[in-house]
Amino acid sequence: MRVLVVEDEADLRRQISRALSEAGYSIDEAPDGEEGEFLGDTEPYDAVVLDLGLPKVDGITVLKHWRKAGRDMPVLILTARDGWNEKVAGFDAGADDYLTKPFHVEELLARVRALIRRSAGHASPVLECGPVMLDTRAGKVTMGGDTVTLTAHELKVLSYFMHHQGRVLSQSELIEHIYDQDFDRDSNTIEVFIARLRKKLAPELIQTHRGRGYSMSAPGDGA
Amino acid sequence: MFSRSSVSFRLILLSVTWIVAALAVGGAVLTHHFRNHVENSFDFGLTRHVEELLSYAEFVDGAVTLKTRPTDPSYLRPLSGWYWELAVNGKVQERSRSLWDQVLPAAPSPPKRGESIGYFHEGPRGERLRAVAATYSLPGYDGDVTIYFTGPATVIEKALEEFRETLVMSSVLLALGLILAVVLQVILGLRPLKLLRTRLAEIHAGNAERLTGRYPSEVEPLVADLNQLLEHNAQVIQRARTHAGNLAHALKTPLAVLGNEADRMEGEAAKTVAEQVVTMNQLVTRHLARARAAGGMGVPGLRADIGDIASGLKRTLQRIYQYKARADSDQTGVSIALVNVHDRFVVGDRQDIEEMLGNLMDNACKWAATKVRVTAERTTKDIVITIDDDGPGVPEHQRAEVLARGKRLDEATPGSGLGLNIVHELAELYHGTLVLESSDLGGLSARLTLPAAP
Repeated sequence: MRVLVVEDEADLRRQISRALSEAGYSIDEAPDGEEGEFLGDTEPYDAVVLDLGLPKVDGITVLKHWRKAGRDMPVLILTARDGWNEKVAGFDAGADDYLTKPFHVEELLARVRALIRRSAGHASPVLECGPVMLDTRAGKVTMGGDTVTLTAHELKVLSYFMHHQGRVLSQSELIEHIYDQDFDRDSNTIEVFIARLRKKLAPELIQTHRGRGYSMSAPGDGA
Repeated sequence: MFSRSSVSFRLILLSVTWIVAALAVGGAVLTHHFRNHVENSFDFGLTRHVEELLSYAEFVDGAVTLKTRPTDPSYLRPLSGWYWELAVNGKVQERSRSLWDQVLPAAPSPPKRGESIGYFHEGPRGERLRAVAATYSLPGYDGDVTIYFTGPATVIEKALEEFRETLVMSSVLLALGLILAVVLQVILGLRPLKLLRTRLAEIHAGNAERLTGRYPSEVEPLVADLNQLLEHNAQVIQRARTHAGNLAHALKTPLAVLGNEADRMEGEAAKTVAEQVVTMNQLVTRHLARARAAGGMGVPGLRADIGDIASGLKRTLQRIYQYKARADSDQTGVSIALVNVHDRFVVGDRQDIEEMLGNLMDNACKWAATKVRVTAERTTKDIVITIDDDGPGVPEHQRAEVLARGKRLDEATPGSGLGLNIVHELAELYHGTLVLESSDLGGLSARLTLPAAP
């Protein structure tokens, strides 16, 4: 899952990014509205954390531009001005949630997690696919009740599959959503992760669609 | 129409005083001159009679005698007031028949030879007489021949009386006309000021932002200054608000950083930092809200549309609480009903009113099971906004506590713990009230009363 963090205060940006990375997200950062808007326009993010008080272009304007251009990724706005007029303006511009500064990073993680989950159409924080269960809150994976230990990258791939069950995901889509923009992308690595996931979980869990990509569905769903 | 301190009252009072004084002085001067004139012409008539009588006088055989006597019947009719006398060296020699057996009282100081005087004196019947006396010498006689002629003073008094009557009547008419003209002049002349007052009232009521209309050149600079002042006021508020916002931004981001660093660390120090961050945040929020609100106080023309604000908040809050789980249902979210909120205007800055309403509605949504209802009613002077929810409510003995500074009953529900008491403080700043009661929906009913905009 890729998340864009647009925040001008370097320390806070670092804290947010670190927490999100530790939670298994791939992070891109932008220090101002201009760069943030550009990244949001060009990269496929699963969620955006957007500060409203930004240099160059303010957050509300960035958000409006995105929504006008049809970019519909979930956006969490951060605001230091806890006035209601700013919240109303934020939601009217197309925000999905808001947090008032100062906030606890755990709170932010919970909000981002919920946003991503809901935008993929899942109501519960625990995602299921046959015997495999992923608790998005703890990043814990179980297979038939037994805990399965996954590396950070394996978890990222599994999480993306679990969020988009039944859909055929191309290699490039997987790469775009799993690595941040600075990562040296190599399509072979995806194949490696899928092979490992099949081995650790169940071989029939992830299906290969030749020339199109991969999909995940519970065995017996007939997908 | 005119209060005692009004410019109109003063102008009219001053003019009336001046008109009355001028007419009184004018009347006195005119009366004086007219009296002189009447006396002079009366004296002139008497003098002609004196001269006539003188021409009848002659000095024959060592005595002054009259060749003939004046034939005017007035001087023949007894005690008619028309008398004459001829005295030689102060001794009465001849007199008119009208005097009958009486003698004219002597002149206060008999005129010297060649002199003629006019004076008033009392006649034989006690009537006032106007007299002319003149002293001559006759050819061949060296003694003083003094001739007195009198006429009744009532002739003079009557003429004067008539003149006075006419004068008083015309003066009163003139005064009334002048006062009417002054009143008209004051009303017409001060009309721009009245217009200014009407426009200012509109600004106070929030129906206008600046003074409009054409004003005479004397008032125009004042209007320009007032407009500038209004603009300046608006700018100052805007600046203060921006400043407060910037300060909030500047303070809260470091607080967020500090708080998060503390969250990552362990031990007593980290705990203390985390606690202090919470305290500082509360202080910043509270004081900025107050500073912002206080900045907007006393500024004319503030007006906030409850319907508009409530609609925006409803939109936002329904999204915020879209996924709020309900205790007894699979459905999520809170339904917010707005009842009678349109066409309700209160005196106040939009952002402040939005702050109050936002906090109250947010609080209701936080605690509600499924429903929140916002009702606005107009009383004679106020708008009463009631926010009801179907949540657990607040027991009566705890309600005062909720409104107290920084108190939160349930520390587990997120929030700065300032919501209701900020509303309470802002409401007081706006001369309004916030009362907590039990709702017919089962939960809390918060009743916010604010002065209605005219």
